[in-house]
Amino acid sequence: MGEIILTMKGIDKSFPGVHALDHVDLEVRKGEVLALMGENGAGKSTLMKVLTGIYTKDSGTITYEGREVEFHNTKEAQDAGIVIVHQELNMLSHLTVAQNIFIGREFKKGFRIDDKKMNQEAAKLFKRLNIDIDPTEMMGNLTVGKQQMCEIAKAISHEAKIIIFDEPSAALTETEIEELFKIIRDLRDQNLGIVYISHRMDEIKVITDRVTVMRDGTYVGTLITKECTKNDIINMMVGRVIYEDPKTHSMVPKGAPVVLKVENLNAGKMVQNVSFELHKGEILGFSGLMGAGRTETARAIFGADPKQSGDIYINGKKVTINNPQDAVKNGIGYLSEDRKRYGIVVQKTVAENTTMASLENFCNGVFIDKKKEEKIAQEYVDSLATKTPSVDQLVVNLSGGNQQKVVIAKWLTRNCDILIFDEPTRGIDVGAKNEIYKLMNKLAAEGKAIIMISSEMTEILRMSDRIVIMCEGKITGEIDIAEATQESIMNLATREIG
Amino acid sequence: MENLKNNPLVKKIGLNRLLLIGVLIVMYVAFAIISPTFLSYSRILSLLNYVYFLGFLSLGVTFVIATGGIDFSIGPVMFCCALISGYCLTSYGFPMIAAMLISILVGCLFGCFNGYLVAYWSVPPFIVSMASMNIAKGLASVFTKTQSVSWPQASAEGGWYRSLVKIGNVPVGLFIFLAAAIICAIILNKTKIGRYILSLGSNKEAVRLSGVNVKKWEMLAYVICGILVGIGAIFFVAAYTTVQPGYGDQYNNEAIAGCVMGGTSMAGGLASISGTVIGVFIIALLQEGILALGLNKNYQLIITGIIVIAAVYFDVLGRRRKN
Repeated sequence: MGEIILTMKGIDKSFPGVHALDHVDLEVRKGEVLALMGENGAGKSTLMKVLTGIYTKDSGTITYEGREVEFHNTKEAQDAGIVIVHQELNMLSHLTVAQNIFIGREFKKGFRIDDKKMNQEAAKLFKRLNIDIDPTEMMGNLTVGKQQMCEIAKAISHEAKIIIFDEPSAALTETEIEELFKIIRDLRDQNLGIVYISHRMDEIKVITDRVTVMRDGTYVGTLITKECTKNDIINMMVGRVIYEDPKTHSMVPKGAPVVLKVENLNAGKMVQNVSFELHKGEILGFSGLMGAGRTETARAIFGADPKQSGDIYINGKKVTINNPQDAVKNGIGYLSEDRKRYGIVVQKTVAENTTMASLENFCNGVFIDKKKEEKIAQEYVDSLATKTPSVDQLVVNLSGGNQQKVVIAKWLTRNCDILIFDEPTRGIDVGAKNEIYKLMNKLAAEGKAIIMISSEMTEILRMSDRIVIMCEGKITGEIDIAEATQESIMNLATREIG
Repeated sequence: MENLKNNPLVKKIGLNRLLLIGVLIVMYVAFAIISPTFLSYSRILSLLNYVYFLGFLSLGVTFVIATGGIDFSIGPVMFCCALISGYCLTSYGFPMIAAMLISILVGCLFGCFNGYLVAYWSVPPFIVSMASMNIAKGLASVFTKTQSVSWPQASAEGGWYRSLVKIGNVPVGLFIFLAAAIICAIILNKTKIGRYILSLGSNKEAVRLSGVNVKKWEMLAYVICGILVGIGAIFFVAAYTTVQPGYGDQYNNEAIAGCVMGGTSMAGGLASISGTVIGVFIIALLQEGILALGLNKNYQLIITGIIVIAAVYFDVLGRRRKN
């Protein structure tokens, strides 16, 4: 580990009603990978935004390369050598790789853009990163992983001295993550300072040298990665101990009836001949890599996207599902991985969202019975322990975990027997995660049938009674929880299909 | 400012609406100082005449904007309604009540047309309403053979319709308009129609994935708008009797300005009927004021244009600050 390149000291930042950063310290050294960890809302992103000039700090100092600095926008930060590789990629898919990398600072030959020089320069960057990408390829033709590497190439083309990775692995496959790590190690060896933001505990252990933990906008402490355990970090993050033990055997009673049967479902490239059964009281885990076709399968079953062929049986009876209305009528509820876009109506209240799928039951003619609506909403706020000042609160003001509870309440109010949870705990902090798990177990015990799509291995092993594994749009295997191991699942998830 | 915001009365009515009412009063006082005729009863009645038909258009377009859509055809469609029904009345000898129903029917059909294309065929509302604006103008001209239509005078047979606006010196129209506004507010805030319209305006995909037939409800917003436009046409002729084919565009902007000024968000999902009502009064006052000051009517076009941009800008600004 080298000398200190960046020190942030006593950084304070308030938004109306929120003290987002409370005198936070951060120190980055040359030639190290520093993990920045904390639950959602701990202030990691805010801190990085203060650093790169998106937000102005209320107080505190930033010392970079020995001088006190204050950047007013990302451009100034970039020019000084501090760049962020964002979680969401900002790419123009109809331009080439090289054009994307040099956008806004194209090489010129007179009036014309010098594409040849851009391609050469891009090739040089890729060579430095040891990756094989054709600079003349259209950005849209690359995988998400490759696109991310282009972002990194763009970052180092700014003569970066500090690169901040904001949850870079969220959309990557296992192999892509390994490649990413290789690049990060190379950059570290080239004496850059790396800040790595992630929720994935196992990655932190593999890639980082030190871990700085934040909680509720405050600095908690910094650990040397080698010298600490996963539980040490989690305890610092949440201030309490959390166990994540896998389930050892299925909780589904023998001979539980089949509630949902899917036969030879086909919907585009991502859903090919998918067949499976779901029992009453079962949590069926859907495992696989990003892009394996799990969400697409769920959406096809739910009627959110069109399907080409396939039969769906509910309680032994064949049903036609052409749109979400049909699915809901048949007692299926879908909780999307992207709550903000597909789950909740943010400008509406908790009560209004709760009855969104079953408003007819709360109407006299066309008039809404607000008392009845508020009563049921309050019941679910109480029973799901949703943290909200009242049922009249706009959902936009709730945290991710509580928004998820509102979506769950919506389907429970509709009395759905089949619930599809797509990444139920994505973007939800550790404490609220546990509550969601408890809730799912309770629902299963009450006889609901649950499909749980998850990319987190620990979540799959902890929650599922049975696991279906998908790879490239096909089901590659099915394992009972008693026999499931990380290795056996990974094996099926990455299996080449002939 | 914080104290003011927490005052229970202010909370109940809403700061924005109070500000709007303030603007309305200040404008009226200013006009009255410049031109004392403003205090005369006849001037007020003339102001109200403008409020009625514009108010119905504005109420209608509030529902459309609440879905996140827009309707640029309301002005010409209103004229189309008045012309077709008036022609039936004067040239085919239809009874007055039938003519009124035809007016509402024509508005409703245009609403169905716009709504169906927007909701079921996913044609952008901007394009649909621009097209149906031209259709409305053309249709009215063809139907009336490009002649203007004069509805009967109060003393003539069937002239009773003019008492929709006033009886003697009592502005009956005001009561009818306010009653209509209250019904609209109830539909928007207390029924599932309004709930679905506002919700899909805020996040259509989430509502669709809740198993709601979003297309039906989205189309319904345009139908409600069409019906209100048809009623607006009746109030237009009740106030002014004569309609000319080929006009009506300027009322689009005025109605939309009234609505957006009242706090309905162009992005959809947020709408206020009471705000729309106050907004309409401001637009009508502006129009009267400009006439009273002896200014060219073109100034009004300029000012309305600026108001639309300002209102939308503040809406965008408010949302950005929230994010």
